[in-house]
Amino acid sequence: MKVLAFDTATAATVAAFGELERRDDPPAGTRPAHAQKLLSLIHGVLDESNAGWGDVDRIAVGVGPGTFTGLRIGIATAQALAQATAIELVGVSTLASLELAARTALADQRQILAVIDARRNEAFVSGAGLNPCVLTPEGLGDVAGQRASDGIVAVGDGAVKFRALLEQAGATVPQDGSPLHRVSAIYHCRLALDAQPITTGVVAPEYLRQPDAELARKL
Amino acid sequence: MILAIETSCDDTCAALITPSGEIAANIISSQTVHSRFGGVVPEIASRHHLTLLPAVLDDALATAGVTLDDVTLVAATRGPGLVAALLVGFCAAKSLAAARELPFAPVDHLHGHLAASFLAPSSFEPPFLALIASGGHTLLADVNDAGPQLHVIGQTLDDAAGEAFDKGARLLGLGYPGGAALEALAATGDPDAFAFPTAARMGGLDFSFAGLKTALLYKVRELGEAEATRLRADLAASYQRAIVEALTIRVRRALKQTRATKLAVGGGVAANGPLREALGALGVELDVPPRLLCTDNAAMIASAARYSPVLQFPDYLELDVYATGERTLVA
Ligand SMILES: [Zn+2]
Repeated sequence: MKVLAFDTATAATVAAFGELERRDDPPAGTRPAHAQKLLSLIHGVLDESNAGWGDVDRIAVGVGPGTFTGLRIGIATAQALAQATAIELVGVSTLASLELAARTALADQRQILAVIDARRNEAFVSGAGLNPCVLTPEGLGDVAGQRASDGIVAVGDGAVKFRALLEQAGATVPQDGSPLHRVSAIYHCRLALDAQPITTGVVAPEYLRQPDAELARKL
Repeated sequence: MILAIETSCDDTCAALITPSGEIAANIISSQTVHSRFGGVVPEIASRHHLTLLPAVLDDALATAGVTLDDVTLVAATRGPGLVAALLVGFCAAKSLAAARELPFAPVDHLHGHLAASFLAPSSFEPPFLALIASGGHTLLADVNDAGPQLHVIGQTLDDAAGEAFDKGARLLGLGYPGGAALEALAATGDPDAFAFPTAARMGGLDFSFAGLKTALLYKVRELGEAEATRLRADLAASYQRAIVEALTIRVRRALKQTRATKLAVGGGVAANGPLREALGALGVELDVPPRLLCTDNAAMIASAARYSPVLQFPDYLELDVYATGERTLVA
């Protein structure tokens, strides 16, 4: 089965067709360019594979967690492409993809914690037996500390951001430039093979947080 | 068929029109969730657009009795509007077009409001003066052709006219959005009961509604709660009259300045009865599209696409939306 996958949950815009990936990593301090880059990257990986829509068996999109607007750009694109081509559509956890990439790269049994920068001094976290959630730095330190005795590796842009406290809690964080910290759509393609196709045409983003207005109303 | 998507604010819209401007489907899914926040919340609007859009598109195709195979051009609102909301519809439209290698037309939302007047069967031909008044915009444009270049000759310096309606309605305890409720209440009141400002002494063609809103606030406080409630219909009628006059005064000036003999009105405020009446009495040929084409909709975006530059696949893949800046306005 050939999968076309893409992700816009983090600053990077990534697209892959099977094992071929093309990406846009905006330089630190610049805004992500998902709306501009995503469709050209998608067409790029298909063109380079000499493939057309007829060669795609499944479209997989990263559902996050990540930036709200980023998630919607990816999902709006996926929903529309699937609607226009009648190709099967699946959603894939961005955190699970980070985790799978690290699991594949590390040749040992250490646990893996996938950590995405959630801004506002918080992190989206999953792995090592933890379901996707939002954690404060304190909570993140606790989670890492509780698992440190078995050996734990933290990956993702959030792991880089919270390196000091993760290392203090006993976790290993690969060096800043390591590819393990970057979301790779190649692993979305692999996860998509086992995912359940969406029949409603609507992909649910994993926001994990309510809109500010909703929170303010409840106070 | 031209397929268009509009998601610049809180309505999720898709429409299909024929190449000659006949509406085949015009689907509008209005989000009612915002009323409890007293205004449109961009993040909530964007979340709803994402979940509603696939069904709204299907509905448009089914209503028109066509499939995507019949679509020859895809269009979408590029701006101005709420960026997060715009992105949902714009990215979906680009993707639909790209998957089928169709041409794509990015459309300016204000050009869309004008283009509502170009839809069949009652196509209104330029040159004309246009008044666009809604909750998001209030402007006067000198329209010489159907293209996207908008020659704006007057605009609001603070609130939009629709915003003034909604804020007045809230002060009178009518909830949000309250423009229609205010109009209904005003129908039972005396428009001469209170003298609210129309900024008539402010020369030129620009609008200002902030002073009017403040005047209503002070009047309500001065009357006290019981009295203000008792005189609510009179307050609503006088307040509405001030908005209508503020708009009409500037339309009259603009007609004189441009020597236009025709007037087109668009935007949600165009649905207001007393405003239609006042503009109808100006002695020029008047076009007010049906209500569903005055408020935000995608048929007007499809209509504007007929007069907009069209990009061929793959030249549009990297296009982005804009909040305000890049629109093709000639100020
Ligand atoms: Zn509008």
